[in-house]
Amino acid sequence: MSLFMEDPAHFSKSRLKSDLVAHNVVLPPTKSRKEIYVDLHLKHIAQKNAGDFSSDDEDQEQDLADKEEEEDAEILVQSCLTDDDLKAALLKHGVKAGPIVASTRALYENKLRRLQQSEGQGHVNGVEKGVLYSDSEEEEEQEDGESGSEGANEETAEQSNQAQQGSSQFPSGTHSAVSNGGSSISSQQSFSITEMVQEVERRKSLSSRPNTERELNGSNVQEHWSRSNRPDTPIVDTMKNQSPYYTPKESPYKLKIKPSQEPVKDTIKEMFLNMEASPTGICATRRRPIKGAAGRPVQYIYPDTPTSPTTLERREVERRLVPIHIQILVFFIVACLLYMIYVCVEENSFNPFVALLDSPDQGSESEEGLMLQAKTQDTPVISGQE
Amino acid sequence: MSTTSQKHRDFVGEPMGDKSVTSLSGIGEILGKKLEQQGFDKAYVVLGQFLLLKKDSEMFSEWLKDASGANSRQAGSCSQCLREWCDAFL
Repeated sequence: MSLFMEDPAHFSKSRLKSDLVAHNVVLPPTKSRKEIYVDLHLKHIAQKNAGDFSSDDEDQEQDLADKEEEEDAEILVQSCLTDDDLKAALLKHGVKAGPIVASTRALYENKLRRLQQSEGQGHVNGVEKGVLYSDSEEEEEQEDGESGSEGANEETAEQSNQAQQGSSQFPSGTHSAVSNGGSSISSQQSFSITEMVQEVERRKSLSSRPNTERELNGSNVQEHWSRSNRPDTPIVDTMKNQSPYYTPKESPYKLKIKPSQEPVKDTIKEMFLNMEASPTGICATRRRPIKGAAGRPVQYIYPDTPTSPTTLERREVERRLVPIHIQILVFFIVACLLYMIYVCVEENSFNPFVALLDSPDQGSESEEGLMLQAKTQDTPVISGQE
Repeated sequence: MSTTSQKHRDFVGEPMGDKSVTSLSGIGEILGKKLEQQGFDKAYVVLGQFLLLKKDSEMFSEWLKDASGANSRQAGSCSQCLREWCDAFL
């Protein structure tokens, strides 16, 4: 996969420029054509390579060195940028950057690097892509190294950069490599088998920890599990893959904890009930185990009906809905009652007048009776109204 | 309606004043200690960093992950918390 004879004609102009800068070659004017860059590149860099082509091993080393030089060149170029230059470069890529201060500089440099990489990949062909792809890991390592210079042990973190949650939860690491208590941890999530082996070893060493940390860990694991259903956290999932200690239910057949090393029972032990170590230390984690299926014990008892706050709120509202119907019924009943009373009142008021008009010869007894009736009915109405 | 935690609601509901870093949503004891070690001892300092990054959630999440070792969920939660606080009070 190594390219002994790199063809500069396939490089992008920006790459040619950075290469020339790395080899301390004076850049031609910016408006010059690519051919001029290619020529200069061939002239100076080919000269350097020609002298060292003695054996294959050396060639490979030289090739790697060249690649690293290119990476260094890019990084050098970036670190030499002043704040304004960095801002201008970001603007060229269409990113409006905020103030470039000590705390934000690293971020913006990373962003610029990423933009340049993606731009470079857009120009080059597949062969180049292969080269760049192999470079990306190196670049990331150096990225770690550089951002580590900002404030933390990035190089040590690169070894154990997996399980950021784990290392953050165990501030007093027995492993020096793990003790990232005070250091910032890179956002690297490269997954490798060697890291898995280290993880298993670390876990075994950590198995002799006191209970309190385990319980703390357990609660954190529960927290992680409760969030495991979110689809937009692939990073969390990959981190889970790297931290089998936190995904006990998802690795039932690979990791083993020797019972002699864990005499004390705790929540984590219960979760790790059916773990078996694989001799190679490889751990494949599943995302969503089927609890209770295929004879596996239920390792974590979820509530039967997980009630999220929305469902709780909905239930509260629904609890009020039923009384509302009752209230409407009562309202209608009362309305009907009032209407009946109103009608009765109207009838009584009409009747006496009708009776008077129709039969003025009738005795006043009937009138009085009606009047009395009206009065008796009026008074309760009046009292009711009062 | 999005599901927000009680911590989130508590923070976004009032001016942060002199609240500690651990009052931010997504930042617990351990992450809070890490931030304090770096000098971000109060919530308003973290707000300062958020504003420096022009209230860009992605960049802020990235910075928070680098600075404190937070995971994506925690960083996203903190970012959202600060953004809503800014919408309400800034």
